[in-house]
Amino acid sequence: MKSTKARLSFGKAVKTLLAVLLASIFMLPLLWVFSNSLRPGSETFTWLDPISWQTFFPANPNFDNYLALADTSLGQGILNSLWTTLLTLVFGLALCSGAAYALAALEFRGRQLLFSVVIFSLLIPFDAIAIPLASMFKGLGLQNTVAGLILPGVANGMAIFLLRTFFLGIPKELVEASRIDGLNWFGVFFRIYLPLSKPALVGASLILFLFQWHAYIWPLLIGTGERTLLGPIALANMKSQYAVDFGLVFAGSVLLSVIPLALILVGQKYFIQSSSTSGIK
Amino acid sequence: MKKLLKAPLQLAGLGLASALVLTGCAASTTAPSQSAEPSASEDITSQPIELAFMGPETPETFEPVIAGFTELYPNITINYEQIPFDQLATTIEQRIGSGDSAIDIYTVDQPWLAQYAAKGYLEDISYLAAEASSAMPSAMYDVNFYDEKMWALSVWNSTQMMFYNKDMLDAAGVQYPSSSPDARWTWEEIDAASKIIVDSGSAQYGYLLEQVVNYYQFQAIAESAGGGSGITGSDMLSLDLTNAGWTKALEWYQDSFANGLQPTGVGGFDTGPMFSDKKLAFFIGGPWDIGIFGGNDVNWGVAPHPYFEGGEVATPTGSWSWGLNPASKNKTAAAEFLKYATINPVGNLKTTEALTVIPANEEAAGKYLPGLESDPRSAGVSDIMLYEIQNTARTRPTTVGYVQFDSLLSVALEDIRNGAEITSRIDVLTAAIDDAWELFR
Amino acid sequence: MKRKELYWALLVFLAPAVLALVVMRILPAAQALIESLFKTNVFSGEKTFVGVDNYVSLFENPDFQNTIAVTILFAFLVNPIQVFSALLLALLFVRAFPFSRLLRSLIIFPIAVPPAVAAVMWSAVYRPDGLANGILKSLGLSTQGFILDEEQALMAIIVMLSWIGVGYWMLFLIAGLNDIPDEIYEAARIDGAGYIRQTVSVTMPLLGRPLSFVLVATTISNFLVFAPVLILTRGGPVGSTSLLMYDIFLRAYSFGDIGRANAGVFILILLMVTAVSLQFFLLRKGNQQ
Repeated sequence: MKSTKARLSFGKAVKTLLAVLLASIFMLPLLWVFSNSLRPGSETFTWLDPISWQTFFPANPNFDNYLALADTSLGQGILNSLWTTLLTLVFGLALCSGAAYALAALEFRGRQLLFSVVIFSLLIPFDAIAIPLASMFKGLGLQNTVAGLILPGVANGMAIFLLRTFFLGIPKELVEASRIDGLNWFGVFFRIYLPLSKPALVGASLILFLFQWHAYIWPLLIGTGERTLLGPIALANMKSQYAVDFGLVFAGSVLLSVIPLALILVGQKYFIQSSSTSGIK
Repeated sequence: MKKLLKAPLQLAGLGLASALVLTGCAASTTAPSQSAEPSASEDITSQPIELAFMGPETPETFEPVIAGFTELYPNITINYEQIPFDQLATTIEQRIGSGDSAIDIYTVDQPWLAQYAAKGYLEDISYLAAEASSAMPSAMYDVNFYDEKMWALSVWNSTQMMFYNKDMLDAAGVQYPSSSPDARWTWEEIDAASKIIVDSGSAQYGYLLEQVVNYYQFQAIAESAGGGSGITGSDMLSLDLTNAGWTKALEWYQDSFANGLQPTGVGGFDTGPMFSDKKLAFFIGGPWDIGIFGGNDVNWGVAPHPYFEGGEVATPTGSWSWGLNPASKNKTAAAEFLKYATINPVGNLKTTEALTVIPANEEAAGKYLPGLESDPRSAGVSDIMLYEIQNTARTRPTTVGYVQFDSLLSVALEDIRNGAEITSRIDVLTAAIDDAWELFR
Repeated sequence: MKRKELYWALLVFLAPAVLALVVMRILPAAQALIESLFKTNVFSGEKTFVGVDNYVSLFENPDFQNTIAVTILFAFLVNPIQVFSALLLALLFVRAFPFSRLLRSLIIFPIAVPPAVAAVMWSAVYRPDGLANGILKSLGLSTQGFILDEEQALMAIIVMLSWIGVGYWMLFLIAGLNDIPDEIYEAARIDGAGYIRQTVSVTMPLLGRPLSFVLVATTISNFLVFAPVLILTRGGPVGSTSLLMYDIFLRAYSFGDIGRANAGVFILILLMVTAVSLQFFLLRKGNQQ
């Protein structure tokens, strides 16, 4: 009988090999974009046919495209995006975790109905209602404001759904015990549910973050003043009518992607840790 | 599951009342206003005035013309807002359509003019028609008219020409096409030359139309084949895509891809790089390519746009106009800026400082075109462009249904390019456009 | 006292989100439903009540019929593919091995890329002279049409969407897998269960909740997808990638056909409600076993 240790390392080796293969396939298009950001835009499609190592690794890489970004409004766009996304996260987490808590922990008539409202809101294609919603906002004077930008992103049905799914897993006994000890519903939320929910909160943050960071049609409808010009729009503005400098656009895309990527890398750890280590058991 | 459905119904009931109110607020289109020349006594030189100008170009493009205007009117500030091109139509619809007074002037893609004029999104500026008529070539003057009124002023013009790779032609032993508009090559000659060049291995493909699946490019081909613009009728809402000319044009078009003379799969403005990357012997492109190709190392020359043997010579034309928002609160000042950028040759010339594009103003064009020959490769291009603009340019048809037509035709051209059976595809297209045009009936 | 406390809690915790969802999602959707019963005169802005005419007009249109068929086919293909792939990836990455953290992050990366940029990337992948054909050529295989081929275009879009989302969904499933206590696996192992047996009898049932979440969320996201179609195929070739959300987008944002665009929205919502309800139903049945 083969020793379990040898079996385990063989298993791990196979997994590593498989993972390397998969990760390489996933990274290929991104590598192509990154390598094109390091060479002039006129060479973007030159290296596609035939494929060579130069397709992915430019012979004379330079950072000219990144330097040229300073002359565009991308910098301002990224700053605006960071600010609006932060606001969306703060208000969004507050709103969504509160709602998920109420729907999971509190017993009241109409609980199922209101949860259905949440699910139903998920089914509404946002881009399809963006136009009437923008008119509504304009009527309320929210044209060209940061509030106008973040409000639709703050109530996110999917985040509520995720959080509620997680909250339902918190044992009732824990709650009952603390209620007997005299804790009110606010206390239960802040002292029991929240501390045990780091993974779910990170997951909800990811959902809220991506919705706001990738927003494109909505910010355009709300108005693109200096404060409200967001990253993706600044990126789109770099395309002139007759030609696209892909080197420049790809450099901008790399910058726009790096921030969510960093957050995902950091947040991953907290998101997937098992709840047994987060203290429930 | 029942509960899942109960909720929406209850809420719909709740929403009905409030939504009706909201609907009332959101919908609004204004009827076309009368053309009123602003009173001569309105003084726009003493008070500080702020004008809002909206368009798809980068801010650098309009800095010169704004600076030039501000020199004449130091009390007027012009704030330019850039909207990404593919969202421009929606933004105009949303903002101008809702009576937003925060925009004074905006750019109008000439084929969209009829639609905007009909919807009341443009101020009637017919009082400027006389001045415009003496400043613009007739095509650039006519294009701003709908329902016998003038709604915008042309800023830029365009035309198309043929670039060719001299080294590839030399290698295959093919003569250069003449640069004289009277001795221009036919599509048949291009096909023959391309076949020789591709067979000899001197080039991967023969030629490529820049905007290969767009009506802007294809119209000239259909017209040269005798098919007309494809849109007819007194209301310009009837289609004529099955006549002999259109059939000939579409068959020629499909064959060029099937025979490997034109490449498939590349579209938008990714086509130019194929010429710069030395994959094509010929390229049908616009004035902006003179600037773009100026940066490549291809030994290129310029010749006039081809036509079908025995057919008329037709070339694509048209570009952008600027118009006034009827809801603007600064119409007099805005009209002055508009005049400066279009009717005034100095101002119009300034709009072309940052881009390689033809000024619409006749005098400005006369000054601008020779400047395009600074690169020795573009020798002869100025005469070619001037000739086309004055003689062979065919503007896109004036119809309120242009957007639907253009969008659906483009998808059909792509399918035909990839081998779809022409007659049935055009039938499907005709049905789709007619259906989309239900909106106007 | 308890009653009052409950109501306060509901007001503070639940009311804000519900209010926001009603005002910013439900109300505009109701408005869309109402708009779908009207025909707007493009020139005068005048609205005429036409009842279900817009819906009838859509359903009588062969292009729209095709769109519905393509959308349903798409849903049946993309969702199982993505959920299954995410599950396999999650099973692969749940236990650490050399470089697993790094490699996992590379697979998650695509979701961070702006959708429009992802579409441009994939247009370069799918070009006749692009990355995909280049790799096929270097492996000695014949080139493919991908988005130019009527039979391949829909799958090409599915592959692209999966590339974007599968890592993201994998994260949620890994979190769910980690929630399963080690003791249960120990017990199963002691009983002699091999890896596959463990996965089927232990992992799958206990993964129920996260898996349902991922299934529902994926289904909904995929019904709302249209950017790749807008940028890469525009519904073609010959209507083979004509998805309902794209049709709605085209009508609303390009054609200005608000009445029928909104009718399309409602039909899409009905499709999603059906799909999600079906999934809830089947999952509940599965759980009962």
